[in-house]
Amino acid sequence: MEDREIIDLFFERSERAIRELDSKYGKAVKAIAGNVLRDRQDAEECVNDAYLGVWSSIPPQRPDSLGSYVCRIARNQAISRLRSNTAAKRNEGFDLVLDELEECIPSGISVEAELEGKELARAVDRFLATLDYDDRFLFVRRYFFADSVKQIAAAMGRRENQLSVRLFRLREKLRKTLVKEGLLV
Amino acid sequence: MNREKLFDALADVDEAYIAEALRYSPEASSGSSERIVHLNKKRMISFALAAALILALGVAAYAVFSTYSTRVPEPEETFRINWAENASGYIEWTDAKLAVTFPDTAESKQIEFRPGWLPDELSELMVNKPLSRLTAEQLAYKFPGLSGGQPLLIESYSMSMFNNGGALLLLYYTPGEIIEEHWDEQNVDVMRFHCTMTLEANDYAPERTFEQDILLMSNPEAGWIVCLNGEIGMDELVKVARNLEIFETGTALTYDDFENHYAFMDGGVG
Repeated sequence: MEDREIIDLFFERSERAIRELDSKYGKAVKAIAGNVLRDRQDAEECVNDAYLGVWSSIPPQRPDSLGSYVCRIARNQAISRLRSNTAAKRNEGFDLVLDELEECIPSGISVEAELEGKELARAVDRFLATLDYDDRFLFVRRYFFADSVKQIAAAMGRRENQLSVRLFRLREKLRKTLVKEGLLV
Repeated sequence: MNREKLFDALADVDEAYIAEALRYSPEASSGSSERIVHLNKKRMISFALAAALILALGVAAYAVFSTYSTRVPEPEETFRINWAENASGYIEWTDAKLAVTFPDTAESKQIEFRPGWLPDELSELMVNKPLSRLTAEQLAYKFPGLSGGQPLLIESYSMSMFNNGGALLLLYYTPGEIIEEHWDEQNVDVMRFHCTMTLEANDYAPERTFEQDILLMSNPEAGWIVCLNGEIGMDELVKVARNLEIFETGTALTYDDFENHYAFMDGGVG
């Protein structure tokens, strides 16, 4: 079913909208929730929260890309839930993703405190626009979807070590972009 | 909190980038299918040209006294391979597709090489200084039809590294017909083959097949091996190999000089 048709179902307040949404994007939503939250029950609740978020916001929203929209909501829900969890529930795999992002910021330097998140996101957009498709896919799967390098290697048909080297180069490139644009102080 | 702030900001990246990452598209990566078909046809023609060239140069078939021994490992056979990213520094690998072994050699002469010819797209790698390893991954963009992203990789090995059951392995790719020859001009034994790897369809991508060519050339007296692999086609790989200049460094290497006694030849890290 096309995104537009599913969105129409949301506008009609049809419960079928959730089933169609789950059928089309359920795997991606469950993957992102599972990647951020190690706990299965937490991840399932996060997916339900994400669907509820879509139900609550469409209408009035009519997103261009329903997949991006629901994944973004699921990611935000998962992050919120992770941060409210106890230390015992920390997800080592996700910590590794954050550690890697730390490399994009030179030591002794911090992201400007007043900087709006959206301004930083636009800088990342500009960085992504300079990449070819493979590098963009790799970066977004790793740092938006929080996929493991192993999962991405399987999807792209590459070896893990090859992608790890490429990710290292991409983080270096992002760091240089952020410094060049004056977003780090 | 820097890293969290950056991760949070990524939630607001352009939705087009998120949408395109929902499913991997090999077409977006490697050009149109027409290009891939063209390359495959070109490769078949290349095989024929390479065979004709080899016959014209009087290369002898060389199967009886070959340097190389090959076997297909048992699926559960485990190889302990150096893997820097693993916590232990090693990975236990099973399901290898091919193991190439060599005569036990007490000492191997360490070598370096210099390419005497490379395809035009890789001409910037034509350096004067001798190398022990050459990778062309950074120039992959010049080969839009690549399936695996590595146009050319050249690495040197020592036979003494593979004594006592060590082996040069194919971990991922399955070899086609293996051709063994002796090249009189360079006095080297050669093994070469085309190989493929098929990845099953998954949540992100349809089934895909990757291809590459591998060429091993070795001097059994000196105990060195050069492995060339990549996706530039077998005829060009042969041309690169035939034009390699080999230099002995003056160092002799024995089994004990190597911590690791397995290596894999199907591709590599750039």
